Amino acid sequence: MQELEHVHPPGRWTRGRLLGAAVAGGAVAAGGAALAGRGGAGTSVAAPSRDTDAQILNLFLLLEYVQQDFYRNAAEAGSLGGELARFASTVGTQEREHVAFLSKRLGSRARARPRTDFDERMTAPDGFREAAVELEEAAIAAYVGQAANLTRGLIGNVAVLLSVEARQAAWIRSIAGVSPAPRAADPARKPDDVIADLRRKGFIA
Amino acid sequence: MTPLTIRDVDRDEALGEALSELYGTTRAGFLRTAALGSAAMLATLLRPADAAAQVSDVAILNFGLRFERLQATFYTQAEEMGTIGRMKDAKQEWARTLGAHERAHVKIIERVLGPKAGPRPFFDFGEANETPAAFTRTAVAMEDLTVALLTGITPQVHDRGLISAFAGLLTVEARHAAWARHLVGAVPAPRAFDEARSIDSVRGAVDRTNFIVGKPKTGARRAPRYAG
Repeated sequence: MQELEHVHPPGRWTRGRLLGAAVAGGAVAAGGAALAGRGGAGTSVAAPSRDTDAQILNLFLLLEYVQQDFYRNAAEAGSLGGELARFASTVGTQEREHVAFLSKRLGSRARARPRTDFDERMTAPDGFREAAVELEEAAIAAYVGQAANLTRGLIGNVAVLLSVEARQAAWIRSIAGVSPAPRAADPARKPDDVIADLRRKGFIA
Repeated sequence: MTPLTIRDVDRDEALGEALSELYGTTRAGFLRTAALGSAAMLATLLRPADAAAQVSDVAILNFGLRFERLQATFYTQAEEMGTIGRMKDAKQEWARTLGAHERAHVKIIERVLGPKAGPRPFFDFGEANETPAAFTRTAVAMEDLTVALLTGITPQVHDRGLISAFAGLLTVEARHAAWARHLVGAVPAPRAFDEARSIDSVRGAVDRTNFIVGKPKTGARRAPRYAG
């Protein structure tokens, strides 16, 4: 019967069943709550298509542009030293590669570079650390929320980019002295909420 | 003896539903009563062409479960043997957090799989979790391997809800890996894109460690002390 496993149905686990399973055990409260969050506010359920891909990739591109500008701005200000400077330079380069990848995939549908605006305090070590943690967490939550809505061919490309965002978040959190992995599963956030948050905090003009 | 059909073995109609989804009800109805004399041939027949190379979600989840169990056991044993207690404070927090997360991941996947969850394997980590140095070295490698595995299998999953859940787990494994690397002085995010690995490749890496064993170990090293 081993062979029959290969024809096991797509859609075998409904979202409800998955979430029910995840929240059923008290012992898995942390992971379960995070997984449960996925079914609600953080994820949208658009059917995968080329149009949906373009919308989602443009959201990711916006986030990568903001991060790239943020790190470049901090590096140019020159007030970071030691590990913070190494972090900003390494991660800034990686965000530039993410921008290049997403722009290339989007081709003519790629959005314009956003007008970013960073408070001076964000280039000093304390402000930089805090802002970097917020930006990285925002990116992770947006990616986690939308990755599953992409067409299949893109999911693998985005997975290996998303894991790097998570590494960057853990790195800056280590430097900042806050737990690098505060939950057993990362929650998703709605794109509109993430963007509104970035505006309110003054990252996007 | 009457030949076995899909209908006979598909008690919860799961396969039937899938067949209808793939081929419509008419052909699915026909296939449902087809004899399972050659299961391999039938499986090939049933698979849509573009999914021919795909592994089932049950198989993916079970491999994920096996791997999460391996990790959870590695951390739990290190705690029980006092290895974690002998580490510096910052490393203790790291090791305990990772252990708690991996145990939560095991419980989540077990509940999702329900009765389809594979049996618990037996593990023997040898000296890999007996000393703080060996433990740390192994944990760093294991967490990076987990990132490679999850980025590799997530796009293989059929179910969109599961893909979403895997995305939220793979970011946590990547945080673990980066945290581990930071503690040992390695660059936490060494590349702009991680390298994904297939289940087969990760299975090979796990096999080479000999951490998964056929029988529970019976050596005297960790046997309970005779108290009578």
